[in-house]
Amino acid sequence: MRKYLYVFGLSLQNVLQRRATLVMDRVGGLAAILALYYFWEAILQGKDEFLGYSRSQMLTYVLLMNVMRSFVFTGRGWELVQEIAHGRISSYLLRPLSYQGYSLSLDLAQKTIHLASALLELVVLVALFHAPVYVPARAETWTLFAVAVAASSLLFFFLEFLVSCLAFWTSESGGPLFCFELFLNFAAGSFFPIDVLPRMLQELLRATPFPYLVFFPINIYLERVSGPEAFRLLAIELGWLAAAWAGTQVIWRRGLAVYAAEGG
Amino acid sequence: MAAIEVEKLSKTFRVPEKDEGLWGSVKALFHRRFRNTTAVSEVSFSIEEGELVGFLGANGAGKTTTLKMLSGLLHPTEGRASVLGHVPWRREAEFQKRFSLVMGYRSQLWWEIPAQETFRLNQEIYEIPEAEYRRNLDELVDLLDLSDCLSVPVKKLSLGQRMKAELAAAILHKPKLLLLDEPTLGLDVVMQKRLRLFILDYNKRNNATVLLTSHNMEDVVELCRRILIIDHGKLLYDGPLRQVVEKYAPLKVIRVDFREAVSAADLEPVGRVTESSELRAVVEVPRAEVSARAAKLLSKFPVSDLTIDETPIQDVVRRIFASGET
Repeated sequence: MRKYLYVFGLSLQNVLQRRATLVMDRVGGLAAILALYYFWEAILQGKDEFLGYSRSQMLTYVLLMNVMRSFVFTGRGWELVQEIAHGRISSYLLRPLSYQGYSLSLDLAQKTIHLASALLELVVLVALFHAPVYVPARAETWTLFAVAVAASSLLFFFLEFLVSCLAFWTSESGGPLFCFELFLNFAAGSFFPIDVLPRMLQELLRATPFPYLVFFPINIYLERVSGPEAFRLLAIELGWLAAAWAGTQVIWRRGLAVYAAEGG
Repeated sequence: MAAIEVEKLSKTFRVPEKDEGLWGSVKALFHRRFRNTTAVSEVSFSIEEGELVGFLGANGAGKTTTLKMLSGLLHPTEGRASVLGHVPWRREAEFQKRFSLVMGYRSQLWWEIPAQETFRLNQEIYEIPEAEYRRNLDELVDLLDLSDCLSVPVKKLSLGQRMKAELAAAILHKPKLLLLDEPTLGLDVVMQKRLRLFILDYNKRNNATVLLTSHNMEDVVELCRRILIIDHGKLLYDGPLRQVVEKYAPLKVIRVDFREAVSAADLEPVGRVTESSELRAVVEVPRAEVSARAAKLLSKFPVSDLTIDETPIQDVVRRIFASGET
């Protein structure tokens, strides 16, 4: 366990070392959120409600998207793809270390820093816009939200890891991950709530793990789902998490068996 | 007990093929052809604990593929291997704690942060107790003259410094087996020498087994008493370095100095002239006839000095690779 903590610490240093990248990342994300915020504010002009979201709920959804993306969508997918394609995972495979544990430790470090930054941004944005932030009153909501977010963060990690592992078979390998990311953005509800989509498409998406990444946790926070329904959805999310974990183990084992340790 | 035991180890890769140029790429988009290439074919050998063995072969001969199988990175297509008593591709932690693979062109150091951070990381990964870590690190810093390189981000180090740091990171846990792939690649002559001395010392001091590949013949000549030669995936030779010369060098080399100028053409009856200036020549003669030919030289030419040598090992091995003979 200590080794993973050490990787976590080292990775924190590494992220902070690359100040410019971090700042660009944050500014880029923030610009998108600002645009979306103004967009929704314009749509909600003079309305109390839209698609069943109150004004305060919708604007909070937008602000929370930034926090969720920072905590859930930070991954090492592209690095993993590169490391497999260029044979750089070799150096980890040689040492008594679980590569998944190592990746997760690196990822958690990124998440920690991005989350801290996102929360800071949230405070600034709220103060700046005098945004009518929705704050759940029930303690139960906060607990459920915390569990859902933790699970969605892990769910994303394993889904992305699994897709990236396809690089073991496709020598160019970026393709599957690219599609995954493209799909992710609207399927997870990280640009807009998926209620915006046609009914059919919504039903389809609900049968995939994607809405559990962003849409579902925010809906818990906004108390649009609660009680038994919330627990039911949380159980499904945990089911997806278990499936993604199991799938990753299988793909990883098979991938290593065909791994060509390329380069040299 | 043997440190490494390999029996009929084979590895076949499936490689995509495409015709040349853009049209070839378009065709490959719809129909991809594959070819099976055998990188290693039924290789068997055994290395005892504490041996220092050179593994030679031309580019693409199968050296690195073999090392990758021995270190557990690759699963073989066929055959079996036992390394330090383990099946390497099972990647058991107990096995991984006792060996190290260093590839001269690969880095395990974190690029943006100082090497000592990676050392600490390896301390955690290999679970080295603090006292032992300090002792090993001090020793390595001393032997490899690393003190200047520890606290500088790795990307700021010179190639030589990085290679030393790389080696240190790889042996902090005092592995019983070192697999070295081109350890002196890209280093200057002084650095190469230093690294060789270090490897030799490490081998002696820890009774560690070392298997190294190198294109640098100096590495092999100075370090290894035994060599394996692999070509096109097949093991050509396994034995003492010295005997390679006898087996593969049917010629000896006579160097002569003359008192007066002698032309190369006049020397042809004695043997094949490989070098010649007016007062000096080098002639290759069949091993069995070396004394007769030397006598001929002495009687027919104004010789001032004469020495008889073995063909340099470098040349012998180079010749084996060039001809690919068995």
